[in-house]
Amino acid sequence: MTEDSQRNFRSVYYEKVGFRGVEEKKSLEILLKDDRLDIEKLCTFSQRFPLPSMYRALVWKVLLGILPPHHESHVQVMTYRKEQYSDVLHALKVIRFVSDATPQSEVYLYMHRLESGKLPRSPSFPLEPEDEVFLAIAKAMEEMVEDSVDCYWIMRCFVNQLNSKYRDTLPQLPKAFEQYLNLEDSRLLSHLKACCAVSTLPYELWFKKCFAGCLPESSLQRIWDKVVSGSCKILVFVAVEILLTFKIKVMALNSAEKITKFLENRSPLPLKNFDSSRGREQKCMRRSSCHRRLLPSE
Amino acid sequence: MAQQANIGELLSMLDSPLLSVRDDVTTVFKENLNSDRGPMLVNTLVDYYLETNSQPVLHILTTLQEPHDKMDTDVIVLTTGVLVLITMLPMIPQSGKQHLHDFFDIFGRLSSWCLKKPGHVTEVYLVHLHASVYALFHRLYGMYPCNFVSFLRSHYSMKENLETFEEVVKPMMEHVRIHPELVTGSKDHELDPRRWKRLETHDVVIECAKISLDPTEASYEDGYSVSHQISARFPHRSADVSASSYVDTQNSYGNATSTPYSTSRLTLNTPGQLPQTLSSPSTRLLAEPPQATLWSPSAVCGMTTPPTSPGNVPPDLSHPYSKVFGTTAGGKGTPLGTPATSPPPAPPCHSDDCVHLSLPQATAPKKEERTDSARPCLHRQPHVPNDRGLEELHGGKGSVTLSDLPGFLGDLASEEDSIEKDKEEAAISKELSEITTADAEPLVPRGGFDSPFYRDSLPGCPRKTLSASSSTQGTSANPEPLNSSLDKSGPDTPKQAFTPIDLPCGGTGESPAGNRERQASLEASILTPSPCKIPPQRGVGFGSGQPPPYDHLFEVALPKTAHHFVSKKTEELLKKAKGSAEEDFTPSASPMEVLDRLIQQGADVHSKELNRLSLPSKSVDWTHFGGSPPSDEICTLRNQLLLLHNQLLYERFKRQQHALRNRRLLRKVIRASALEEHNAAMKDQLKLQEKDIQIWKISLQKEQARYNQLQEQRDTVVTQLHSQIRQLQHDREEFYNQSQELQTKLEDCRNMIAELRVELKKANSKVCHTELLLSQVSQKLSNSESVQQQMEFLNRQLLVLGEVNELYLEQLQNKHSDTTKEVEMMKAAYRKELEKNRSHVLQQNQRLDTCQKRILELESHLAKKDHLLLEQKKYLEDVKLQARGQLQAAESRYEAQKRITQVFELEILDLYGKLEKDGLLKKLEEQKPEAAEAAEERLDYCQDGCSDSVTGHNEEAPGRNGETKPSRPGGARGGGGGGGRGGGSSSELSTPEKPPNPRAGPFSSRWETVVGEPTSGTPTTVGSLPSSESFLGMKARELFRNKSESQCDEDGLTVGSLSETLKTELGKDSGVEARAPLTLDGPLLPAPKPDSVGQLRIMDYNEAQLEHS
Repeated sequence: MTEDSQRNFRSVYYEKVGFRGVEEKKSLEILLKDDRLDIEKLCTFSQRFPLPSMYRALVWKVLLGILPPHHESHVQVMTYRKEQYSDVLHALKVIRFVSDATPQSEVYLYMHRLESGKLPRSPSFPLEPEDEVFLAIAKAMEEMVEDSVDCYWIMRCFVNQLNSKYRDTLPQLPKAFEQYLNLEDSRLLSHLKACCAVSTLPYELWFKKCFAGCLPESSLQRIWDKVVSGSCKILVFVAVEILLTFKIKVMALNSAEKITKFLENRSPLPLKNFDSSRGREQKCMRRSSCHRRLLPSE
Repeated sequence: MAQQANIGELLSMLDSPLLSVRDDVTTVFKENLNSDRGPMLVNTLVDYYLETNSQPVLHILTTLQEPHDKMDTDVIVLTTGVLVLITMLPMIPQSGKQHLHDFFDIFGRLSSWCLKKPGHVTEVYLVHLHASVYALFHRLYGMYPCNFVSFLRSHYSMKENLETFEEVVKPMMEHVRIHPELVTGSKDHELDPRRWKRLETHDVVIECAKISLDPTEASYEDGYSVSHQISARFPHRSADVSASSYVDTQNSYGNATSTPYSTSRLTLNTPGQLPQTLSSPSTRLLAEPPQATLWSPSAVCGMTTPPTSPGNVPPDLSHPYSKVFGTTAGGKGTPLGTPATSPPPAPPCHSDDCVHLSLPQATAPKKEERTDSARPCLHRQPHVPNDRGLEELHGGKGSVTLSDLPGFLGDLASEEDSIEKDKEEAAISKELSEITTADAEPLVPRGGFDSPFYRDSLPGCPRKTLSASSSTQGTSANPEPLNSSLDKSGPDTPKQAFTPIDLPCGGTGESPAGNRERQASLEASILTPSPCKIPPQRGVGFGSGQPPPYDHLFEVALPKTAHHFVSKKTEELLKKAKGSAEEDFTPSASPMEVLDRLIQQGADVHSKELNRLSLPSKSVDWTHFGGSPPSDEICTLRNQLLLLHNQLLYERFKRQQHALRNRRLLRKVIRASALEEHNAAMKDQLKLQEKDIQIWKISLQKEQARYNQLQEQRDTVVTQLHSQIRQLQHDREEFYNQSQELQTKLEDCRNMIAELRVELKKANSKVCHTELLLSQVSQKLSNSESVQQQMEFLNRQLLVLGEVNELYLEQLQNKHSDTTKEVEMMKAAYRKELEKNRSHVLQQNQRLDTCQKRILELESHLAKKDHLLLEQKKYLEDVKLQARGQLQAAESRYEAQKRITQVFELEILDLYGKLEKDGLLKKLEEQKPEAAEAAEERLDYCQDGCSDSVTGHNEEAPGRNGETKPSRPGGARGGGGGGGRGGGSSSELSTPEKPPNPRAGPFSSRWETVVGEPTSGTPTTVGSLPSSESFLGMKARELFRNKSESQCDEDGLTVGSLSETLKTELGKDSGVEARAPLTLDGPLLPAPKPDSVGQLRIMDYNEAQLEHS
């Protein structure tokens, strides 16, 4: 009863009238008030609504398993995490793998590699494609999360999730992309096919890096909300939406290289497109949620 | 005469009903006509036709041939014809157009005729003819300007006609304006019937007059300012008259009239006249001076020119006139020069005949004269009589003043007593003069002068005289020249001021023009104390004498304009008269004027002659004066008279037309004024009506107000009534409702009645039923009574039986009394027992209840416990979870820690390796492998354990590696060391004997990824294993071999081969090449071995890790 009294009594009607996400913050707060946080509910919430930025890190940490669902242990666990972070960092510093001058993203990369036991013998060791992905995500994450400990942990778990949970689904995304593009705009798809650009689209950028470095952080956060909460299908819709947005320009281009180049060079999107990209992102969120509803198996 | 009688008979026969006779007579006539060339027969025929209107005669006349139809040399006929034509033309503008060219032709011929004078026509006639031709010219030009001009153009473009044009036509043209039709119209348009439809005869006449510049003809109604001309013209004319060749006969009045204006003649030079004036003055100058004080030579020279004559060009054209009178004057040399023209009494015959006969005689002397008379003579002639005229002026008429005039006239009248008409006229004139002398002064301010009827009266005068003369002609067989001359003199007197031709024309035409003339004459009369004053007076007299019926209307119609005009004109003329020296005049006199002058002069001559001669001396011998034979003279006079008559008729026609027009205009004026009055009346009416309307409006308003009031009243009444109606309706409705209610009640009552009836029926039936029942009951009652009786009987029986029973019971009790005690005891015992049991049961039940309660309590307790347990479990789970989370974190931390330690170890090992490298080099020198080995082994073991525990797979890979290559030379040994392969290898590797070149370790480690692929291509590698591993394996084997078969012969070879392969692979590196020889050297090789092995192992591990990941 106390919880309910705190909520706006109108909130029940907002949704009926058609407003969505008016009381998101409140409802999230209510969710977060539970002792033993309900991961499922949080997942659903974050898939349905954009997370308020002040709770984003917390929710992500919870969803990614960095923090346990119990509030009691949060402090302790967090100290563990911090210690772990500092230890790893210290170790890297000790073995002189990183210095203060090393970029944070690289630091994260080495830390991750160290933790996964794949630390190269020398910092000058050439990077692998995986590392590239990691670095891109790290750069994006750096912008999103202030605390370096949180950042590292979130990133680590995010990448681990990509590598473990979405290992099977990620390779199938290009096909899904084609499918949805066909639904949305078959002409565009046929144009792409005619240009043989379908196979050369920047899938890695889109689906492996999860648009890191391709979209502005504020948009990326919202996309990653969904990814973190367990839906990587959002990436497909975002990609489709990007193509639809630049449809005219893409239609004007004839060769696969040009199209690929054009789409790759869209990163990061110019500031003036920010708002439109925001709107587009919201649109694609809605669409994705709609699709999700249509396809409950996913 | 016999012949004539014969003809008369024949003519009467011509109308006989018998065709044969008529044909015969016709043939006779035709024959006669063919044979006889004289005009007699034709004339007779014409006369007859005119009398009887006989068709056959007309037929004969129309078929006339050659000699008879050429009769146009007779001037009188011609003039008459032309005048008739002129008169007719305005009447038949439309039908006459097909003869238009004939008319033009007539004009052409006559104009040339005037000049050429084919017959021996007297000049006097020619003047008439010329005047008529002039009139024709005006008429034709006025009516058909375009056609006429084109005719003129075509006709006079011919050489032979040029002279005629110059002499006759051109002067005529000076008296016309440019016809507007010439500009706007066309030949066809002129002949358009629509043009003529709008115009009546008098309109046409006026139209023609409009374009004339001749004051005698012109009309001024359009306001062409001819006032100057007229004012100038009038004196000019009189001056002309006085200055003409007839001066001698005329100057009696001519001088008098001309004096005021003579100076104005100075400017009378027109281009055409200039030469004449220049040529003539020389003689004139000498001749004229004595005429008057105001007489100027220039005036004389202007006068000498005969501008008005048709032959305007001096010598020839002026000739006819001057000759006519010149001959008379010159021929006689006596004051009675005129008698030359006075013919002797002619035999009574037709005037036509006379003219006809006299023509040859009259022309003959003229011709002679023409040849004789030289120009100087011609010019000289006038002033001789002029001198005489001057003398006469003083002694004769010239001295006649206004006051004298009646007397003068009276003298004249007394002299001419013989003619009654004249007497009458004289009497009238006398009478009038008496009146006028009295009335003259008041009349003028009255503005009567502007009225046209003053003038109108004047034409009446000549007409009268003319008619008188004609009557005299008609009545008296012998024409008396004196008489006729006197007749002429009658009108002549007024003519001094205004000529008779002039007056009818302008006077009847319209008031302004007439006004002006009148005014001019008045002026003249005012300015000169000469007889000129008479005419206005006389005119007034005449006007008052016979005032036209519509006279007063003009005053009414145009009082203001008339007065204004009069005042203006008088002023103007006064000014002119005063400053007459600067007056200018129009060029030439028209033929009309010439004719006028001729007539005037003729009249003057006659009057003069008559004055001299005693009237009764009719039988005077005319030959005594040395003139031409009197018969001839008379004939000429007669003809002249005829001509004058014609002229008069023509003028009368014109006057009539004017009168007609006047009447029409007057009617218009009257109508206009009537309309104006009507308008005013209408306006008054309108005002009255407006007032009425106002009144009506007011009354309407009142009525409306009343109406409104009434309506309001009505409304109130209506509303009252409505309310009443409403109330009544309401009442009605109430009543209706009441009636409805009552009806319903009625119905209810009816229903009730019906129900009651039904009930009644039912009751009836019930009654019946009850009756039936009653009968039944009565039956039953009877039955029951019977039953009661039976029952009583039975009761009695029962009582009896009861008594019997009691008796029996008493008997029985007496017999069984002891057994009941036992039973009672038993019963009591049983009862107690029962009670005991019952309490027991109660107790038991209570116990059971308590137990059950207890059980329930316990059960709830149990549930609580269970719940608690569950909660506890949950909590436990929670805690577990929590712990697990923490544990996970801790684990991950631990993992990380482990990783860190690994890294550290690696680092340490690396560092150790480096250290050992350095140390080994020293140990090699010190030959203390044992200690080193021990240390190495210890380290290795530790490492192995560590690595084993962490990476199980890692171990497998080399193990498999080893197993897959048992056939190899070093395979057996490798297999032997399977348990601790890594350790074995490491231990073996740690032996100083197996030193693959000291640089090989780092070398290979450097190259493992880069060179790994190429080396995997070598046959020694195993395809199933990762290339780097195979490479490592190869190395390990080699090392193994080195260790087991230490100092084997092949050793150096294999190492060499290996080094060689390496060398070949990496041959490009010069640095390597340089060092390669060194590595092949035995003693140098083993030293870096352990290091390299460690490195390899690390690599191995790494690779395994990579693979694993």
